[in-house]
Parts: sequence; structure tokens; C-alpha cells
Amino acid sequence: MRVATNAYTNAMLNQFNVLVSRQNNLQSQVSTGLRIQTPADDPTAMQNTLSYLANQSTQAQYSANIGTLQTRATSVDSVLQSLQTISSRAGEIATSAGGATTSQSDLTNYADEINSLINQVVNAANTKDPSTGKYLFGGTASGAAPFTTTTDASGNVTAVTYNGNSTVNQAQIGAGMTASADVPGANTGSTGARGLITDSQSGADFLNHLITLRNDLNAGNATAVTNTDSANLQKDENNIAYQVANNGVLQNKLTAAAAFVTSNSQNLSQMISNTSSADLMNTMVQLSQTQTSYQAALQSGSKIMSLSLLNYLPA
Amino acid sequence: MLGLFGTLNLAARSLQTQMTGVEVTGQNLANVNTTGYSRQRVQIATSPDMATSIGPEGTGANAVDIQQIVSNLLNNQIQSQGSTSGYWNAQQTALQSAQNGLNEFLNGSGATASTSTTSSTTTDTGLSGQLTSLFNAFSSLAAAPSMSTQQAVVGAAQQVATSFNQISTQLGNVKTSLNASLTANVNSANTLLTDIASLNQQITVAQFSGGNANDLTDQREQDLENLSQLTSITTSTGTNGAVNVNIGGNQFVSGNSVSDTLQTYDPGNGSLLVQTSVGSVPVTLTGGSMQGTIDARDGTLATMQSHIDSLAANLIGAVDAIHNGGYNSAGGTGTNFFIGSSAATISVNAALVNNPALIQISSSATATGDSSLALQMSQLATTTQTGLNNQTFGDYYGTTVAGLGGALASANTQVTDQTAVTNMLQTQRGSISGVNTDEEMTNLMSFQRAYEASAQLVTTINTLMGDTLAMKTS
Repeated sequence: MRVATNAYTNAMLNQFNVLVSRQNNLQSQVSTGLRIQTPADDPTAMQNTLSYLANQSTQAQYSANIGTLQTRATSVDSVLQSLQTISSRAGEIATSAGGATTSQSDLTNYADEINSLINQVVNAANTKDPSTGKYLFGGTASGAAPFTTTTDASGNVTAVTYNGNSTVNQAQIGAGMTASADVPGANTGSTGARGLITDSQSGADFLNHLITLRNDLNAGNATAVTNTDSANLQKDENNIAYQVANNGVLQNKLTAAAAFVTSNSQNLSQMISNTSSADLMNTMVQLSQTQTSYQAALQSGSKIMSLSLLNYLPA
Repeated sequence: MLGLFGTLNLAARSLQTQMTGVEVTGQNLANVNTTGYSRQRVQIATSPDMATSIGPEGTGANAVDIQQIVSNLLNNQIQSQGSTSGYWNAQQTALQSAQNGLNEFLNGSGATASTSTTSSTTTDTGLSGQLTSLFNAFSSLAAAPSMSTQQAVVGAAQQVATSFNQISTQLGNVKTSLNASLTANVNSANTLLTDIASLNQQITVAQFSGGNANDLTDQREQDLENLSQLTSITTSTGTNGAVNVNIGGNQFVSGNSVSDTLQTYDPGNGSLLVQTSVGSVPVTLTGGSMQGTIDARDGTLATMQSHIDSLAANLIGAVDAIHNGGYNSAGGTGTNFFIGSSAATISVNAALVNNPALIQISSSATATGDSSLALQMSQLATTTQTGLNNQTFGDYYGTTVAGLGGALASANTQVTDQTAVTNMLQTQRGSISGVNTDEEMTNLMSFQRAYEASAQLVTTINTLMGDTLAMKTS
């Protein structure tokens, strides 16, 4: 075929363009580690990658939520520990006071100790979440302190009012999975999370039971202490034990969810890598092939271009 | 018998003929790099012979014609492929702008050492990640309602709104610049039509007076090819050599005059189209960069704009439907979270921006610590929306991105293929019409030698004439 002189230059320019653009593309793949960077590089892979990335970010959020709940569960746990101590001390007092040999002055001393326990329980039940500053045991009506007390002239608590409600906030800890570390202070209904201090399902009513115990002690009514108050306090102790166990179950659930999230994240990273990452070895081989082609094109081009009949004609 | 003077004449004609050959070779060499130039050949024919008693005797040679070596078939193919090239180039440019406007790219911070290494560094730059961040912020707010999580939600929502606004503005800018480029194309086309008509005029005049208008024909061919890049044309050549140009069934160049020109018009939606100047008849374009621009603008770009708008509208609707019925920590209710109705107008309610504590995430006026609505809003991330073809927000956006990516990828492939076809046709045409310097140098030498030989003939005749005169004087 006859070849026009400028066909060389045109063809060479075209080849150079193709090779340089291929080199540029491969070089960018090597330096970013990504096979696709724009939607046009591979529309389907781009769509999948965006979806994986969103999912990965959601997993990170689950992980953060789990962390938040774990912190809160720990705060709840420490309150439960102190309530357990108080509850067992109150039980001991009820047992000791029920003995036939106890004098009225001993009973009055016990009543004073119960007064102090009542205040400790109110303080514990009004604990705030250190991270959000909201009350831990007010349910979702956490604006005001959940437990307020009425006191008599000598400063002793005569009645307790619960200002919260019995619902709790849920947080997302996995796809379609929510959990709550909140415990309502009281639940007088028959459904929902059991109340910390007052709970109609278990018959617990810790503060009122303590108040009755104190009143009975002051009144020297050892019979009531033995017959009624001890049994009532046992219900409270059981309820607190239930809450401790429940907290343990929650912590286990959170640990399991965290492990699931971690494994999901790793899988997603792998999927993101599979869809969007450049195969470095392959890319480097292609890059070096392209560089060789480019060199060959430059060399052959410069040789052909320098050839001309003019070089051989006499001056 | 020619005799001495006849032979001298023959030699002189031969000198002229060979000189013409040298001149044409010079013209070819000078135009070796001229775009659209077709090489020329001098046509040399023997002069009419002379009857003599011993038979016909030759009278030398004449340069009878300077011919252009062209292939009309290839020229037509290049014209029609030019329309296809122009179409896809315009699409590619438009869609690249749209892709930049969308700003959805992947970032990676370095090569992974092997394929088994996870690339946790991959991030995306656009709306996709920001939407997820917003839903995540709602999730945080549900888990731990506090001032800081409320602020985080408002911050993430503002980011989403800003991105929507930016994408909408960018796509609007792309549309404006596509309209501008359509107008520029129409102006170029009108200039080319005028040039073609004027070249028709010169060519018919040159041919009427018996000449060849080789170089003018080249120029006109070049103009037709440039016009083909802008839009698909059909041409017909008249008996006088003038080329008539027809676009979309309308005659624009008739003989030596421009019978009509193109102009843009706004059909009412701000998307310019093309019509004839005479009678304002809408012109149906079928190829070239004008139609490529129109198709990209009214096709992929318009689809994208409408998808982004419905994404924004559905997000506003879904979030507000939940938020509006909720209560803030002071018991207030009934305000919207997002304001606006489209990607261009979406914004976060200014009251919430000023005071994030006004976010309404409680399901009851009395339970002000409730965050159940924040949980609901975070779960919108995985809720399919009937207004979005039953896809989630993220999936719908992903489909939109992939739609644009697919259109651009296809345009890129077409441009690459079309470039290869065009290059091949150009090379083929070059092999017929292009100048080869080696060939021209060889021709030059052959004309030079022939010229030298004819000059030698003159010298010989001169010597013979001298000899003849010397016969008388001696």
C-alpha cells in the first residue's frame, strides 16, 4: 500500500496518545491502589463499591452504638452493685430486728440506718449517664430527677414519687437488631422492661418497702417486720438480682453483636478490595508492557521519520 | 517532417511540459502537511502527430491536465463517520462534565501490597457517603440523645443539603454550557455553509472557463467534513460542479447561495434546539456534535437531574414525615427538619441550625427523653421508598451514579472505536490522495532528467542550425 508521508506522523501521534493515556491510567491505578475511581471506569463495580462503603460505614456506626450501650450498661451495673449491697444490708436488719430479744433502742438504731439506706437508694436511682448527662433510670422522661422524696420535720423520707415513665430508648446494634441499656426506675404495668425500684411483675417496691420497714421498726412492730417486711425485701432483692442478670445478658449480647460487626466489616473491606482495588502485580506487568510498547514506538518512529530519499540524493 | 525549427519547437514544448511537472511536484511537496490536500498529477499526452510520406511522425508531448487524485467514496465515508465521531465526542465531553458535577469518585491512599490485603483506605467523595453519615448521625442520636449528637445530626444534614445544592448547581451549569456549545456549533455551521456556497461560486466560475479548481475543491471538501462533524449532512453535486447541502431534509446551500441558515430556539424549557431561519421550521438533526450535545443534555443529564431531584424530594418527605410528628425536649412539635422540595432548594430548617436542641425525636409530648423517632429516621437508610422505584436512598443514588457511569463508559468506547475507524479511513485516503515525499523526489528527478534531455535537444538543434548557416558562409 502506498503510504503518504504525513501518515507516519499521524499514526505515530495516535499511537503515542493511546499509549500515554494507557500508561497514565495504569500509573494512577498503581499510585491509588484503585482499579476504579470514577463511575465510568466500571459502573457496576462503582455501584457495588458505594453500597459496600455505605454498609461499612453503617457497621462502624453499629460499633459506636454498641460502645455507647456498653458504657451505659457498665454505669447501670455499678448502680446495681450498690443496690445489691443496700438490699442485703436491709435484709439483714429485717432479720435481726425480727428477733425476740431486740430492744426498742436497737430497733430505733436500725430505723436510723434504714433512713440512711433510703437516701442511698434515692441517690443511686437518680444517677446520671456520664456520657449524656441524662438520668439513667427515668425511662424516656429523663428531663427531671426520676425520684423525688417527701420528708417529715426531722428530714426523714416519708414518701417517694416516680417522675419517669416505663419506656426505654432503643439503639441500633445490627441490621434489624436493636438493644437498650436503659432500665426504667419503675414499671407498674404488666409489660415492658422491668422497673429498677418498683416493678409490679415481681412485686418489688424497694423504697416504699424500706419506708414501711423503718416505720415498723420505729413503732416496735417486730411481728410486721418478720412477717411482712422481710418477705417484701426478698422480692426487692430478687428484682435487683434479675436486673444484674439481665445486665449480664445485655453485655453478652453486645459483645456478640460487636464481634458480628467486626466480622461484617472485615468481609466488606474484602469485598470493597475485590471490586475496586487494583491487582498490583497484574497492573505493574501491564504498566511495564505499555512502557515497552511506548519505547518501541518512540524508537521505531524516530528511525522511520529520519529516513528519506533526500538523505541519498546528491547535493 | 518537422525540420529544424519544428524540432526546436518540440524541444521548447518539452521543456515547458517537464517544467510543469516540476511545478506540480513542487506544489505537492509544499502541501505535504496541508490538511485535506489531495496530491496532483500532471497529465502528459503526446502532441498530435503529423502525416508524412513514411507514416505519422510525432510532435512531442504536451501537459494537458493537472489532475487531483481523490476517492469520492472515501470522502463520503469520512464525512459520514465524521458525524458519528462528532456525536460521540460531544456526548463524551458533556457526560464527563456531568460526572465531575456529581463529584462521586473513589479515593485510595496507596497501593495495597497484595490482593489479599484489605483496602480499608478506600473512601468516596460524594453524596453517597454523606447520606450514610446522616443516617448514622440519627443512629448515634437514638443511642445517646445529647447536645453533641444533636449537633452532629444537624451538621451531617447540612452537608447532605449542601451537596444536593452543589450537584444541582453543577448540573445546571453543565446544561448552560451545553446550550452555549450548541449555539457556538450553530454559528460555526452557518459560517461553513457560507464558505461552501462561496467556494461553489468560485469553483463553477473556474470550471466554466475550462479550468480545474483542484485546490478549491479540497477546501470545500474540508469544509464539508467540518460541517459533518457538527451535524449529519446529505450532499448532491450539480452539473456545474456546485455542491448542494441538505440538513435534516432542509436545503441550506443551493448552488452558489446559502438558501437558509440554522438558528437555536428555546422550546420553553430552557433546552435550546435548532430550527431554520426561514420559516422557523424545527430541524431534525441526526448526528454530529449538535445532536450529541442535545442527546446528552436531554437524555442522561436530564435523567440524572430528575433522579437527584426525586432523591432530595423523597428524603425531605421521609425525614419530615417522621420529624414533623415528633416532640423536642421542650415538648414543641410540628416543625420540619428539611425545608425545600428539590435538590436545588433542600436545606436544613434554620431554626434547627441555630438550636439543634429543637430536633423532634420524641414520640410523646411528655416523654421528652424519648429518641425513638431518631431511631426511625436512622432506619430510613434501609427502608425502600415507593417514590424511588422501591429502592433505598443509597441504592437509588447508586443506580443513578451507575447510569451516568454506564452512559459515559459507552461514550468513551464509542469515541475510541470511532477514532480507530476515522484513523483507518484517513490512512486509506492518505494512501490515495496523500503526498509522499520520496515519491515526489523521484518524480522530481525524472522531470529534471527529462528537462535536461530536452535542453540537450535544444543545444543539438542549435549546433545543427549553426552547421547549416556555416554551409553558406564557408
